[in-house]
Amino acid sequence: MESEYSIQVKNAEKYFKIYKDKGKELKERILFRSRNRYEKHKVLNGVSFDIKKGETVGLIGRNGCGKSTTLKLLTKILRPNSGEIIVNGRISSLIELGAGFHPDMTGRENIYINASIFGLSRGDVNKRLDKIIEFSELGEYIDNPVRTYSSGMYMRLGFSVAINVDAQVLLVDEILAVGDVNFQKKCFDRLNQVKKDGTTIVIVSHDMEQLYRLCDRLIWLEKGDIVEDGEARIVGEHYLESMERERLSR
Amino acid sequence: MLGRVKEIWAYRFMVASLVRRELRGRYKGSFLGFLWTFVNPLAQIIVYTIVFSVIMRSDLDKFYIFAITGMIPWLAFDGAMRLGVTCIKDRGDMINKIYFPREVLPIANVTTNFVNMLFCFVIVFLALFISGHGVNPLSLLFLPIIILIEYILTLGLTFIVSAVTVYFKDMQHILNVIMMMWIYLTPVLYPITIIPDKLAWLFKLNPMTFVIETYHCILYWKGIPSINMLGYSSAAAIVAFLVGALVFYKLEPNFAEEL
Repeated sequence: MESEYSIQVKNAEKYFKIYKDKGKELKERILFRSRNRYEKHKVLNGVSFDIKKGETVGLIGRNGCGKSTTLKLLTKILRPNSGEIIVNGRISSLIELGAGFHPDMTGRENIYINASIFGLSRGDVNKRLDKIIEFSELGEYIDNPVRTYSSGMYMRLGFSVAINVDAQVLLVDEILAVGDVNFQKKCFDRLNQVKKDGTTIVIVSHDMEQLYRLCDRLIWLEKGDIVEDGEARIVGEHYLESMERERLSR
Repeated sequence: MLGRVKEIWAYRFMVASLVRRELRGRYKGSFLGFLWTFVNPLAQIIVYTIVFSVIMRSDLDKFYIFAITGMIPWLAFDGAMRLGVTCIKDRGDMINKIYFPREVLPIANVTTNFVNMLFCFVIVFLALFISGHGVNPLSLLFLPIIILIEYILTLGLTFIVSAVTVYFKDMQHILNVIMMMWIYLTPVLYPITIIPDKLAWLFKLNPMTFVIETYHCILYWKGIPSINMLGYSSAAAIVAFLVGALVFYKLEPNFAEEL
């Protein structure tokens, strides 16, 4: 049965173990048993939210509030210590662009490698190849080894692949710092296009203007709890007010 | 568990592209390029042949054929284990950045080494024909079977060592020592018949004994491997694979945090 939700997070809890001084070698482990003690550092205290198919949701909150951890939980890079996370459909993430690029291979070859990480076959990539290359604006550089690319070119190629794999769920972490102003504009338009096509998008960002323009809904996280979850403008206002109050009281 | 298998299958393109990338990337930029694939094993085989047939005077006829038919499969196993032990640890950046079933990395590593072995079989067959040793077509039917058995065995062991290394860094150094001893405790460079009785138990415990013996049987002795030999090696392979997959499955959820 097809669920109406793209993402369901039920009571997700996540803590990291902070080791005082952990020995990774056998000798250290045996000699310094006491160093293996650790403290639990809670990042998320049982967070729950559902995201419907086609919704665009922004995660906001100050640094260290658990936004990025939540995204990593959604991609399954990290697992919750308790609770459950269900994601329906192919996920593409614009979290770390160009992961798995091989420096000695050409841009074109790396497109195949990178897209395969999202589960695409060579045939699937061939169908999208022109679109990806065109979007990246790399032109003839596409056949040069990736190690010769500038960091902007590298990011552009990574972005082009990730946005063109036709995912059902797209996770975005502070992406719009890719390339120059024109390319950022293009990314933004493309993101809007993807949204119109019915892709579910979750964005982490500090740029409220961008969030207002893209998102229907914002979730405000604070020290691992959801403070408010609702319509973008309203939650955004409350968040900014709280930040402002804090700044003034300092 | 079935869901897991399905998911890994969905990522088969990633395995294929990692294998392609590794095979092409490994010697990229070096003068001899892909030829290094052949130079390395050839150099080892030449050294061992000189040591064992000229200095130690093994009484095996055409010792270099014996050496080559044992060494090529051994080197695939050896390479897969030595590179496999760090195949998760060295990809910490990738594991922290993107999701994919982590099994993909050891699978790609072992597959790379076995594809490499298939290329090296060109040397084996060249040697067999040029030396006039020849092949028995009927024996050759068993070659794909033993390759598959060796692949599954290696994969199972690689699952274990790659996952354990993430939590326990000594593993890679321990493995290097083990691999160095393991080749001499396996009848790669001498026939199993010269093993003294009091050590026989040790060789019977070693699954690679039967794998390498099967290769020798097929290619050097040109015989048909016995049911015992095939049965024992496939049983060992299946056990290693199941244990390996289970260990990996248990250790895998915390990879991203540990790296």
